[in-house]
Amino acid sequence: MNLILLLVLVIAAGAVLSVQAAINGRLGQAVGVLRSSLLTFAVGAITTALLIFFFEPAQAVSLLEVPKWQLTGALFGVVYMMVMVGAVPIVGTAVATVAVIVGQLGMGMLIDNFGWLGNPAIELSGSRIVAMLCLALALVFMYRSNTRQAD
Amino acid sequence: MQASLIEGAAQSTPKKNALRLLLLPLVILAGMGLSVEAGLLGPLGVQVGHLWATLSIFGVGTAILFLLLLFSGPQKGPALTDLPRWQLIGGFLGPMYVVVLTLATPHIGIAMTMIAILSGQVGKSVLIDHFGWFGTARKRVNGERWIALALIVAALVLIARG
Repeated sequence: MNLILLLVLVIAAGAVLSVQAAINGRLGQAVGVLRSSLLTFAVGAITTALLIFFFEPAQAVSLLEVPKWQLTGALFGVVYMMVMVGAVPIVGTAVATVAVIVGQLGMGMLIDNFGWLGNPAIELSGSRIVAMLCLALALVFMYRSNTRQAD
Repeated sequence: MQASLIEGAAQSTPKKNALRLLLLPLVILAGMGLSVEAGLLGPLGVQVGHLWATLSIFGVGTAILFLLLLFSGPQKGPALTDLPRWQLIGGFLGPMYVVVLTLATPHIGIAMTMIAILSGQVGKSVLIDHFGWFGTARKRVNGERWIALALIVAALVLIARG
């Protein structure tokens, strides 16, 4: 697939993700973390199942044949969803988003660097470390601007 | 300050600030979990197909949350069917994100994928706070926030080139 097209698609997915965080933060306030998370995951599962029924070609390997640890991704997703639904109303969408980013990028670089979980290894460079510092600084600025506005 | 007029209802107490600081490391950990999820999803999607990998996420997630909900007793608040319709559409947005993750990570790596994701996230979330979309508290975007956004863009460029 075209690399630029793929990047644009991923940036759009990021925008969609923050829209979802905002909607779920609001929903979680109204009906509680558990019910809003369950709704999100159930609608997600039903939508994906419908897409599979009508659009997915047959695959050589099924979910039941891969090593079981490869199926644990959802546990991280559930924890993330619940933390976000609980934290967004308190710290604000932007601060929560930047905090997630710091965790995401730190862990993403570790996985890339060591090639964990069966991914291709990409070495940690100086510019990647500087980028991490920029993001940490950005988090500080976001946090300060939020607390000042609340005063 | 003008900003506090706009904020209106949001009062800041020392207790709430302490809670915020306590929540931040938790949110960072949750973000680390997302990278692990993406790291698991990429190879899984290559083996069983992107939509099946996505279904594994939402299927297992739904099952776990259903059990948690079932055993946590009666829930406070209105029934889901009493809420405004637009508050229920979050579930349609999740699969888009997960499918794109399984598509992208094998080609551009996890860090690059996360950077592209975050540029979309931050741009959008600053807009959401600024205009108070989707019923969130409205926060005026001040100078510090623009500096933060500039730092994130700098980080994007750094990693994209490195």
